[in-house]
Amino acid sequence: MNSRPHHSRSITQAADRFQAWGRRILLSLPLIFVAIFLVVPLGLTVMISFWERAGLKFRPAFSLASYVSLIGGARLEVLRRSLVVALEATALSLVLAYAIAYFLARKVEPATARIVLVLFTIPFLINYIVRNVSYTVLLGRTGVVNTALMSAGVTDAPLDWLLYSDFAVLLGLISAYMPFMIFPLFLSIGAIDRQFIEASALLGASPLTTFRTITLPLSLPGVFAAGLFGLVGCLGESAVPIILGGVGYELIGNTITSSMDVLNYPLAAALSSIVILLMLLLMLGWYLVFDMRSFLGRILEWRA
Amino acid sequence: MWLVIALALAFLYVPLVPSLVASLAGARPGEWTLRWYGELWRTPLVLSAFRSSALVALLVGILAPLLGLLAALAIRELRVPRLILLAMLMPLFIPGVSMGLASAFLFRLLGIAPSLTTIVIVQTLWALPFATLIILTAMTTFDPQYLEAAYMAGAGRWRAFRDIELPLIASGITGAVSFSAILSINETIRTSAVQGPWNTVPTYIWSTYRQVGLSPVLYALMGLIIIATIVIVLAYLLLSRQASRR
Repeated sequence: MNSRPHHSRSITQAADRFQAWGRRILLSLPLIFVAIFLVVPLGLTVMISFWERAGLKFRPAFSLASYVSLIGGARLEVLRRSLVVALEATALSLVLAYAIAYFLARKVEPATARIVLVLFTIPFLINYIVRNVSYTVLLGRTGVVNTALMSAGVTDAPLDWLLYSDFAVLLGLISAYMPFMIFPLFLSIGAIDRQFIEASALLGASPLTTFRTITLPLSLPGVFAAGLFGLVGCLGESAVPIILGGVGYELIGNTITSSMDVLNYPLAAALSSIVILLMLLLMLGWYLVFDMRSFLGRILEWRA
Repeated sequence: MWLVIALALAFLYVPLVPSLVASLAGARPGEWTLRWYGELWRTPLVLSAFRSSALVALLVGILAPLLGLLAALAIRELRVPRLILLAMLMPLFIPGVSMGLASAFLFRLLGIAPSLTTIVIVQTLWALPFATLIILTAMTTFDPQYLEAAYMAGAGRWRAFRDIELPLIASGITGAVSFSAILSINETIRTSAVQGPWNTVPTYIWSTYRQVGLSPVLYALMGLIIIATIVIVLAYLLLSRQASRR
């Protein structure tokens, strides 16, 4: 090295530094992408929620009109009902997904578990509009389910509450988001050290006590992640209430799209802002309360 | 418990049947026909939706895994791994309608007209968390000591990555590619906010359903989307099984 002329060494150093910078920029690209196309747009949404409607357009202002019309009108009821429906669907999905994930993580060979997980993934991937439209065919007054129930003599008249009802909407929401909630639960239950379970059993705890005091608390990061995923999906859903809720069934999701259809963008933005802020708060809570390592396990481990 | 799983799966798979049955139904009950599938090829709007869907899925299938790979590397190498991971997962935490609306605002204020590009951007964002997680999971099975060994043997960073790490995490990358492409083919709500005059297959189904209602041709289109998804999943599973056997 020392024999090299001074200037060529500074050139290689400069080249190294250039490469290091290039590398850093390359690695930051995903972060930049998310910042420009997600963080900035979400900020814009909040900003536009304070703008004014001007005919078919909207213009910059600081107006609370959208929020006032939200609190005053029937939309507050829509917001309340959306929260209730989303919480119900998420809670039911969580119970079902937890049972399935627990069973797959603890009682089944890994190879079999993987096959079952793939089977749960496929319907999640298939367009849910296709699936929900099919539910209308199955659950309608002359649908397969009612026909079967009547011919089996369970009921005399077709059941009306099967379709265009809370029941149908819950069914649609659960079928849309439950399958994917299995994954974080499966990961976090699978990551629990089995020695804890064995120790608990050796000390004489019943399986139920072991579950309540060890498995459940240790899988909470997964429960929270799954719950958050379900809640996001259910709150933002705009197709399920339209297809399965029937005419006039309004949840926040399709209220946002219908405000967009009538070009009331500030109102759509205000409704959207409320949902976004709620989600970001929950996400921040998740980030602060749970060490992500306990959820993502080894993914972050080797970095430390 | 197997019974519960079987019931849950039935509950998820049964809704796929009516569309397939209706798409094959002939004029009289008990008659079967492929006529409606043929009809699809004679509908110009459907054909252009096909072309858009295929092109968009191809681009999303390249872009999302690429960004996901960079993000996974960044999580390993930059100083703020949790922040990067959180940012990559963010699209999962924003409801679809809100994400569509927000993107529509951005493009509108920037004066960018809706196009296939805006659709690709929104769908890439949606596929990014999945692509990142899949690649990140594949990376955990990879021992970084191999990289150290490559550096000691005199390989540069790029060379070590290309020759050592990339082949070992290839299954994660193909997984991310197939997953992103499938997510792209099926995405509707986010896409419909930035589609403008362009239709992908699901947005065509959605708008036709809302404006005209159901028809055998629409069922045939739904049948195709179900089949396309299952084919990609099976192709990926077969490929990855072959790769693991080698």
